[in-house]
Amino acid sequence: MPDRVSPLAGSAVQGRFGADKGAPGVKLSVRHPASIVAIIARQGKSQALKLTLDRMQGCAIQWAGADQYYAVADGLREGELYSELKSRLNVLAAVSDQSHGRVILRISGPNARNVLAKGTPVDLHPDEFPAGKSAVTQMAHVGVHLTRASEDAFELSVFRGFAENFWEWLTEQSEEFGYQVT
Amino acid sequence: MLIKCPHCGTRPVEEFAFLGDAKPKRPTSNDPATMDQWFDYVYLRDNPKGRFDEYVHHAGGCRSWLVVTRDTATHEVFATVTAREWAQRP
Amino acid sequence: MTSFRLAKGGLIDRATELSFRFDGKGFTGHPGDTLASALISNGVHLMGRSFKYHRPRGVISAGSSEPNALVELREGGRKEANTRATVVELYDGLVARSQNRWPSLDFDIGAINALASSMFVAGFYYKTFMWPKSFWEKIYEPLIRRAAGLGHASREPDPDKYEKSYAHCDLLVIGSGPTGLMAAVAAARGGARVILADEGAALGGSLLNENEEIGGVSGLTWAQGIIAELGSLPNVTLMPRTTVFGWYDGNIFGAVERVNDHVLEPSLYEPRQRYWRIIARRAVLAAGAEERPIAFGGNDVPGVMLASAMRTFANRYGAASGKSIAVFTNNDSGYRTARDMTAHGVRVEVIIDSRADAKADAGGVPVLRGRKIVNVKGGKGVAGVELDDHTHVPCDTLAMSGGWSPIVNLACHQGAKPRWDAAIAGFVPPDVGPAFTAAGSAAGKMLLSECLADGAAKGALDGKLPQVATCRDEAFAITPLWWVRESTGKAFVDYQNDVTPKDMPLAAREGYSDIELVKRYTTAGMATDQGKLGNVNAIAILAEATGKTIEQVSTTTFRPYYTPVSFGAFTGPFTGHHFQPVRKTPLHEWADEEGAVFVESGLWMRSSWFPREGEDWLAAATREVITARERVAICDVSTLGKIDVQGADAGAFLDRLYCNTFSTLAIGKARYGLMLREDGIVFDDGTTSRLAEDHYLMTTTTANAARVMSHMEFCHQALWPDLDVQYISVTEQWAQMAVAGPRSRATLQKIVDGIELDDATFPYLAAKELTVLGGIPARLFRISFSGEHAYELAVPADYGSMAARAIMQAGSEFGIAPYGVEALSIMRVEKGHVAGSELNGTTTAADLGLGKMMSAKKDYIGRMMAQREGLTDENRQCVVGILPVDKSDRLRAGSHLLKRNDPPSMANDQGYVTATAWSPALDRWVGLALLANGRRRHGEIVKIFDGLRNIHMYGEICEPMHYDRENLKLHA
Repeated sequence: MPDRVSPLAGSAVQGRFGADKGAPGVKLSVRHPASIVAIIARQGKSQALKLTLDRMQGCAIQWAGADQYYAVADGLREGELYSELKSRLNVLAAVSDQSHGRVILRISGPNARNVLAKGTPVDLHPDEFPAGKSAVTQMAHVGVHLTRASEDAFELSVFRGFAENFWEWLTEQSEEFGYQVT
Repeated sequence: MLIKCPHCGTRPVEEFAFLGDAKPKRPTSNDPATMDQWFDYVYLRDNPKGRFDEYVHHAGGCRSWLVVTRDTATHEVFATVTAREWAQRP
Repeated sequence: MTSFRLAKGGLIDRATELSFRFDGKGFTGHPGDTLASALISNGVHLMGRSFKYHRPRGVISAGSSEPNALVELREGGRKEANTRATVVELYDGLVARSQNRWPSLDFDIGAINALASSMFVAGFYYKTFMWPKSFWEKIYEPLIRRAAGLGHASREPDPDKYEKSYAHCDLLVIGSGPTGLMAAVAAARGGARVILADEGAALGGSLLNENEEIGGVSGLTWAQGIIAELGSLPNVTLMPRTTVFGWYDGNIFGAVERVNDHVLEPSLYEPRQRYWRIIARRAVLAAGAEERPIAFGGNDVPGVMLASAMRTFANRYGAASGKSIAVFTNNDSGYRTARDMTAHGVRVEVIIDSRADAKADAGGVPVLRGRKIVNVKGGKGVAGVELDDHTHVPCDTLAMSGGWSPIVNLACHQGAKPRWDAAIAGFVPPDVGPAFTAAGSAAGKMLLSECLADGAAKGALDGKLPQVATCRDEAFAITPLWWVRESTGKAFVDYQNDVTPKDMPLAAREGYSDIELVKRYTTAGMATDQGKLGNVNAIAILAEATGKTIEQVSTTTFRPYYTPVSFGAFTGPFTGHHFQPVRKTPLHEWADEEGAVFVESGLWMRSSWFPREGEDWLAAATREVITARERVAICDVSTLGKIDVQGADAGAFLDRLYCNTFSTLAIGKARYGLMLREDGIVFDDGTTSRLAEDHYLMTTTTANAARVMSHMEFCHQALWPDLDVQYISVTEQWAQMAVAGPRSRATLQKIVDGIELDDATFPYLAAKELTVLGGIPARLFRISFSGEHAYELAVPADYGSMAARAIMQAGSEFGIAPYGVEALSIMRVEKGHVAGSELNGTTTAADLGLGKMMSAKKDYIGRMMAQREGLTDENRQCVVGILPVDKSDRLRAGSHLLKRNDPPSMANDQGYVTATAWSPALDRWVGLALLANGRRRHGEIVKIFDGLRNIHMYGEICEPMHYDRENLKLHA
């Protein structure tokens, strides 16, 4: 099998960019290659699916709308997460492989929240949007699936086709704080 | 304007798309005799000043169709339910 | 030049000197100065010319209400017109120019208007430029345009960045004076998330300008203590240099933060301005109050200014407005100026108080009670004032106070009208509910102690009132005086628009007595200051003229923006190539390697053609078509919408969405589908495949992908929520490429894993999941838009470019070439396949020749309405093919069709050409058209009229399919 090629292979160059105010205010990276599978509850199975997903091991489960979730994992073979979830969840949910269709960007650091506030109307105060919570929103006219990984770390999942443009926007908004791409 | 999506919480109006009056119900019969009902369903819309039930799509969010009851004059939002719940109203 | 800088005092850094230029002349000032205070400290009062009469004008205010001192700030692409010198923070290297004058501020030709001022009364433009009508376009309008306008915008692009951001809080406090500080600290101590915004560079509001005493220390010291406390709290955000300009539904406030307007050039990484949307649970309007002028003769001579402005310049900036001062007031606050200026060592000649019974403390300055100024002597500076008792008072500067107007604007932005409070002679904010309350002087509280207590009460969200410090109060009393009837010189109500007290009665006499009409007729309250200073006087004078009370006349509508907001702030970062998001396909990299020319298609960048040396678009597209028709060619079709549809009711759902049937489709097969709107008009088309019993893959057109998804969500959630169906866009998951041409099978055979692509295992319309290139999951469809034996292959997006390269390699022995949307479009016209120009929102399935697809056995979206008389009329325009009679003629899309001998007219219109292509196979231009009753007119010769190019020619109507009518190549 050939290696997967990230749509940001040419854009997300490692290094230190933007204003130099000591430690970078923001750290950015691309979570690639990741396995991403969309899960949508079948008619009448919302509760059963939720209970099953609450106990799910081996992948992170992120809420993504009414009766809809993303399962995310790293280091798996092509189609592996999809096949496994399809067989495990078939009665409860339809699953769809989105590993190539979405790109996950990670943003962390003391100014991560300030950068994101330039895009999303979601209130990112930790009391309102604690670690583990996800939201579907728009930033810079692009649909974003936003998850808080920890106090000052977030994941932004966007459609692959917008990834390059969105990366440009995100880095430009991070410039004033200084950012590091890892 | 803010709309409280039952799934996503309160979001500004920019994330939503409006379709219009949610009152008309799609007729179920294909009998040619029901053409007048179909015509009403497809074309006739009230445009009240005041309380109004409107189909709203959370297109920039969870993509749920909602029915928002608001005052068209003051923009006060009285209630928001999912279109699914609305469809099951008596 | 004489310095008017006071020897000491003020919040300026005297140790640092800043150089700046005004109208080409060099001056110096200090950090902490505004452009206005720096000019005043240099003895410059003449800062602009008025709009209509070009009268010389000086600074009137010390803040954001300034109507006169408007300048063009900065140069080149950074030039900003109509900027108030009173809010421009001075920086080293600042360059500003005065406006609305020619050739110079000192000598302005336009001032000749003033000599003819009897002509320029209210409604002058309406009355004068009415006739003769023919003069309007050629003479009047250019004349008015040359004379009109204040500053000039730059014609160069703005080099700076602008940003947008959201903020959320429990309490937004607008204004950081004594009221705002108390409100913020009351909320913050209770743990609430607080944002304190103020338009000024420094927080403190009026405490920066006035001599106050709070808690035994100066007002400024007290403010600094509170600001330090607020700054130390993690739940508080302080936003200086931030103007809250609008109040919107949902308690959302618009604000603009001037991040870098106070420096010569923003740093590389920072924006000039940031546009904020602040979503606030509660908000307190603590914007303070604005002092009003009085309308009396010569009240616009440079050197006449608001009393509060004069003491602000002295107290805050250490700038003396003059050396010999008179004060004209109708209320107690004017006395503060006399006392403060005296304390600064400036000579105050006299206080002229229109009230006979005035009792305020003049601090030793003589007071003339019951007197009014009828004229100010001087042109470009004050030489003295004349009183109504014909006495003359010499002075070089005049401070005036007509009372105070609470800054109610934001509270009225949603339509509520302010209320008149006779006790303070001012409008106070309406009650607009608990989410947004006014406090302090913005609410009409005229005593400092009231402001502190009110701020504390409105800010204490948890009900716990903080202790309020004691303070020294200045008594306040007023007897309104709106204008001096006895004026002998020209008096102004609205400075910016040169509106005089006579204009209001004139408007009323001419029938424009409603305040909204008076505003438009006299222009009072228009332009950049929106009547901040003059409106209340104008309303009161109109009330007098019409015999109404001020309450009855009421105000004009307050709308955002409180002060002007730059276009840059509104656009934010979304300029240039960020104007809208750019969407790239997974094959973009490959197409780029192949030399593609890209075209924007919605947000997508699609490969349009692949030119080789010396080829233009038509030559390249023609070669690409020939390659696809004779050999094999590959095209990126990843932009087509792809929707994964699953569930027990997936087939039933598709049957209701499409006019044809999908529940009967065999597993492993694809079928063309046509989707209608509920009104019976065609919505979208595409191929849908059945991958498993309960699993379909829909495709949509590129243009409609998002609309179809929303439509499906509506149909499922709102119409048929009981269906067990799940669907999600997989457009971005798959890189999809069309491989077309006689050698497409041989090419693909080399890359598929373990399957024979013969007609038995992979017939026309086969749709299967398989692997390619040694294990890459893929989907292969034998479908064709080109009319050739063709396939579409989909692989996961990250493998897309790699797979396309592999196909290029596999097909190289057959002469493979990439083709773009231009070639695609030529081939579809040759084959008569309908696309966007025929699915144009007006055509029915029958119009497109697809009427037979409409099932009679099921309900589906659009079924009933498609049967209406108008949609089944035989004379409707339907799709036909069209060929120029003269084979050398070029067909143009958009040309209209007429009966052979009819002249072009709307009445004779028979339809139009929707799409054209130069067909390499047929060696001529071919087209598709929508023609009335077209199906019955095959063989008819029609006139083709291209009105844009004035071309008349003849064409023959034929069936839409021009090429390979037996579809031999498709099935080859």
